Amino acid sequence: MTDMKPLLFGTVMLALSTSQAAAEEVLLTLTGAVAGGQVELTQADLDELEWHEIATSTTVTDGRPVFRGVLMRDILDHAQASGDIVTARALNDYVIDIPMDDFHAFDVIAALYMDGIALTPRDKGPVWIVYPRDDHTVLADIRYDMRWVWQLTALHVQ
Amino acid sequence: MNRMGVHWRYAGLGALIVVCLGLLVVAAANIIRVEQQMQISATQNMTWIFGQTQIEALSLSAALSNDASSSEVLLRYDLLVSRLNLLQDGPQWRFLSEAGLADGVMGWRDGLLRLDPAEGGDPAALKAHVTALSTALRQKASQVMSREWQVQSERLDQLRKLDLLALAAIIGALISGAALAVLLVDRERRLMRARVDRLRAERLQRDLILERAASEGYRRFGDLIAHQVRTPLAVIDSAMHRLTRSGKPPTPEVIRAKADVSRQAVARLIRLTDTALLMARVDRGAVAPELACHDLDRIAATAIEELQAGRRVTLRTGNHPVIAICDPVLTSEILANLLGNALLYSPPDREIAVRPLYSDDMAMCDVCDQGSGMTPEELACAFDNFARGARHRDLPGTGLGLPLARHLARLQGGDLTLRPREGGGLIARLSLPGKVTA
Repeated sequence: MTDMKPLLFGTVMLALSTSQAAAEEVLLTLTGAVAGGQVELTQADLDELEWHEIATSTTVTDGRPVFRGVLMRDILDHAQASGDIVTARALNDYVIDIPMDDFHAFDVIAALYMDGIALTPRDKGPVWIVYPRDDHTVLADIRYDMRWVWQLTALHVQ
Repeated sequence: MNRMGVHWRYAGLGALIVVCLGLLVVAAANIIRVEQQMQISATQNMTWIFGQTQIEALSLSAALSNDASSSEVLLRYDLLVSRLNLLQDGPQWRFLSEAGLADGVMGWRDGLLRLDPAEGGDPAALKAHVTALSTALRQKASQVMSREWQVQSERLDQLRKLDLLALAAIIGALISGAALAVLLVDRERRLMRARVDRLRAERLQRDLILERAASEGYRRFGDLIAHQVRTPLAVIDSAMHRLTRSGKPPTPEVIRAKADVSRQAVARLIRLTDTALLMARVDRGAVAPELACHDLDRIAATAIEELQAGRRVTLRTGNHPVIAICDPVLTSEILANLLGNALLYSPPDREIAVRPLYSDDMAMCDVCDQGSGMTPEELACAFDNFARGARHRDLPGTGLGLPLARHLARLQGGDLTLRPREGGGLIARLSLPGKVTA
């Protein structure tokens, strides 16, 4: 726990050090069957949710990076989403349908940090959907690998 | 089969089992390896990743040409950098390196970063760099695809090899399993044949022993008949000779005496024949006792009377009648036999006692003589057919009397035993199921 404090402190400082404008910049836009038909989430909104860490191997990196972010189901609950399918859209217009069940069966997170470094659009950020691939053998499959959307910008619930 | 052959046979069986199991293990291992490799990983999608990089390069190039907004240019720039970053990540970079396509990729990214529009990079220089980049990417795209298919084909080759190996191992296991089955069936057949042979040999041995015993019995019976029949016949012949001798005719006394001697000899012959016949009937199980409650005292008394032996035999009865569950005719035959022996083998001046009594719910009848008795050896084989005491070979007897008497006793659920009498002589004890009277 003593190790956690500096880490948390560091994260908070990092978040505070970014400009006020950055904190209010919209990271994720939820549409479809959500509260009011559209919910926009900023960094500040995500900061209010509970944060989680997943250490997992990925198909596009070596080793087992540690990802930090918010549970996808928490984000969807926050937006009062109700539906069976979530259509995820990335900056480069990559689109894929993800069953809502995934987020309840597994602790899937919307990661904003990899190995303590904030994800940026020049890498795979600002948001990367990360599955706990090493915790469930069923997830080591191309059908799930395709749902690891990086540069995530929008979720459409239906 | 000799011992060496057996060893070889077992060694062969063991080797076959090992081969069979070993091949199955190989097959299982290969199938597991195939199963583990039957997975599509995202790194096998390099053609798509490379294509995406190309598209982002073209999009940035288009944004720069169309005088798009700076935020749009920045977005396209970020996306292109992210794709180049992705190509430089571990698995993708290894793929490119192994394909010999990695050269320059790093240079393009570094060149791009130097012209970052967010930091005031020169748009014209950026456009020229991106154009060159997209041309280079276009040239490499087909190589990436070719490399990708090659990797996929090699992987399939590997899987096919494992699969064929597993198949070969299974076929091998099938063949060795079949050989094993043939060997085991053959072994079972040999064992069965050996068992049948052994049983047949045992039966032959048993038949031989029986046949020998029968043959020995016939031989002794032949001797016996020769002896026991000859003696009375010689007596009769001698008597007839005396009566028909030339010269002075015999007196009536002599005739009567010779007639008595002849009749006794005939009686002995009849008795001998009767005993042999009864023995034969007992042997083939044709004698069925008619069991009922009878007074053993009375049967004993009748037997003594019939032998006209009242002078030498004393019947010593107790206070209560001894009731036996028996067949009176057979019991009478037994007692007559025992009394006949006692009379024959003991001196004429010694008393023979007959004692009916109860012991342990059995009705007994002891016949005690004061003759020379029997040696332990004689006692041991007294009940064998045709056994005769060595000292009494010259006395009349068949050697069937005691065995017959015991047979008859046992037929009635009883027994016959012999034991020496204290002070000399023999005690023959007939025991029969008794009925205790109140």
